Amino acid sequence: MGFVDYVQAIIDGLLFGTTYSLIGIGFTLVFGVMHKINMSYAAASLAGAYCGLIGPQMLGLPPWSVFPLSIVAAGVIGYVIYLTCFRFIPLASPLATLMSTVGMLLLVDEIVVHATAGMPQNYPAIYDGDPIELGPFILRADLVGVFLICVVAMAVLLALLYRTRLGMATRAVAQQPVAAQLCGMRLQAVNGLTFVVAGLLGGVAGAMIGASVGMLSPLIAGTITVKGLIVTVIGGLGSIPGAIVAGLLVGAAENLFQAVRNVTERDIYVMLLLFAFLVLRPGGLFAAARGRD
Amino acid sequence: MRRTGLLLSSALVAVIGLCGTAAAQERAVIIKGFGAKSGVVRSFGINSEAAMRAAADAINSQGGVKLGDGTIGKIDVEFLDDRCTAEEGISVVRRIAAGPALVAIGPGCSNVAEPLFGVLQRKAGDASDSGLQFPIFTDVAIKGGLAKISEWAFRNVPSEIDMYNALFTWLKTKNPELKTIFAGVEENFAHSRASWYAVMKEAAPKVGLEVKGEAKWLLEDTNFAQQVREIKAASPDILAIAAHPFTTCGVLKEMRRQGVKVKLLVGLTSSSSMETLQGCAREAEGIVIPTSFAPVTKEAEAAAAQAAKFNGSLDLHSAAAYENIFILKKVIEEQGVLAKPDTVQADREKIRKGLAALKETDGLLGKSKRTEDREAVKPYMYVHAKDGKWAVLFNPLTN
Repeated sequence: MGFVDYVQAIIDGLLFGTTYSLIGIGFTLVFGVMHKINMSYAAASLAGAYCGLIGPQMLGLPPWSVFPLSIVAAGVIGYVIYLTCFRFIPLASPLATLMSTVGMLLLVDEIVVHATAGMPQNYPAIYDGDPIELGPFILRADLVGVFLICVVAMAVLLALLYRTRLGMATRAVAQQPVAAQLCGMRLQAVNGLTFVVAGLLGGVAGAMIGASVGMLSPLIAGTITVKGLIVTVIGGLGSIPGAIVAGLLVGAAENLFQAVRNVTERDIYVMLLLFAFLVLRPGGLFAAARGRD
Repeated sequence: MRRTGLLLSSALVAVIGLCGTAAAQERAVIIKGFGAKSGVVRSFGINSEAAMRAAADAINSQGGVKLGDGTIGKIDVEFLDDRCTAEEGISVVRRIAAGPALVAIGPGCSNVAEPLFGVLQRKAGDASDSGLQFPIFTDVAIKGGLAKISEWAFRNVPSEIDMYNALFTWLKTKNPELKTIFAGVEENFAHSRASWYAVMKEAAPKVGLEVKGEAKWLLEDTNFAQQVREIKAASPDILAIAAHPFTTCGVLKEMRRQGVKVKLLVGLTSSSSMETLQGCAREAEGIVIPTSFAPVTKEAEAAAAQAAKFNGSLDLHSAAAYENIFILKKVIEEQGVLAKPDTVQADREKIRKGLAALKETDGLLGKSKRTEDREAVKPYMYVHAKDGKWAVLFNPLTN
């Protein structure tokens, strides 16, 4: 392994890391608004991607239809998760929603397993052509596409949060829920919409993971959940820019660790990275500014 | 009138009595199956259960099992889920052993079989060993040499050592230009690791293939760019992929993206299933895998059709579950098993003795030999992926 190989490993990791960023954003968005972790987020995102396959496989729709269908389905699933795991659960209890979403994670995963008998499902790539060669480096063209789509999705989310009334309401509820209610904002509606938005974003992530792997399998959900949580912690709970940077960092770091050491040690070093952040910078890369509460 | 009524009543009572007697003469022979029916290897459990039910249905419809006292026994199959985890597998078997089941067929995963066999009594009849005294006849878990852990453990799985030794010899004879081999290994899965390091890596040099190393990944990995670059750098003639369908397909797709080609692909036995073709039929085209099942005989065709009625498909794993039921029928009849509630433990011991005494069994592809270590030496053949289906490439039985 030489210098070129290590740089190539980092490039691969950065490209794939955007999907981690999207999952991390979903975790952090919900946490930012409700101060709760939705453990079922990654599994729901992948479930959305599975639902997208219904279009081409059962309804005879063209392969590209899988992407919009995945996104819409994940949005719907996001709202269902809000209703079942948050809306009627006592939010004052810190463990209640954690446990309900862990339960939902297992449920969603098992529904997928039962629907597919655990068999991997072919998922269309967004581009099926040759890779891009840049001197000694090779960039997977489809991963570059995934990278760009993820960047656009993040940009749309940031625009939504900072340029629309819904975004303002979301931020207001995140910072001062009581004051937001006194200003006439409907807390439940904003929370519900936050789950839908996070779900739509998860749908993009799920679809892009499926597209970049070329398949969907229930095996992916656990890994992506863990990666999403690591990204959320490293980026800083509630920080969207933090999740974006941390996703890329984790993607690049795990590939580099794998290149320098080997695959069996890779995750140990990623966990050490997480541990280092927890000890040295517990607020994460871009910890959200603390509100008056 | 009154007398006629009395006669009719008596006749009715007699008929009911006769029916009752007939029913009493039919005893349930309870055989439990266990394996993954949830989680990512759920298809193993579904297929094994279907195969067991299909075999039991075939036996019951042909008159059932003749028990030691002349009574007819009907095979009663129930399948339990172990989720492919050792702790659940052990718990399931303890539960089964606490009930009236005479024997169990399973598990599906080697990582369950190994610790599970460890809780069985190591040496039958050893009073100082309080291990579980319950016969287990494994159909799927294929990692080599596991049955020697306990004298209560028996397996009807093919020997990967024999299959890959023969496959590499055949490949080298047919394609002498093949000189080098490189592997892709799923490092965190017992069967995959054992299949490369203890089987294929040992077999390849024996036929003059130079082993150029291995690329490693994990069962749940999604990004194989680096591993495929390692394969590209090694530029082997043969790529042996010791991995299950999800990552096998992931690697094959990445190879296509990076334009990496090898002269020949060799796959893991467990990948000769519909999962691989469902995940990556195009990329897997041509991959060669040794297997102990393909519907190439009348019996195999009939069994596959029968299993399909129970919503399963026969492959090298589930075909063994089908065979196991028939083998157990023979053992139960030969050993004079009674299948009465008060003879459960004695019946289990008879079944253990019967299975241990077997030298040869009938299988769907022909006769299988039994070894001293309670393992099977099964007939096999080589299949390859062709036009999105598994096709027989070479059948040593007919050549």
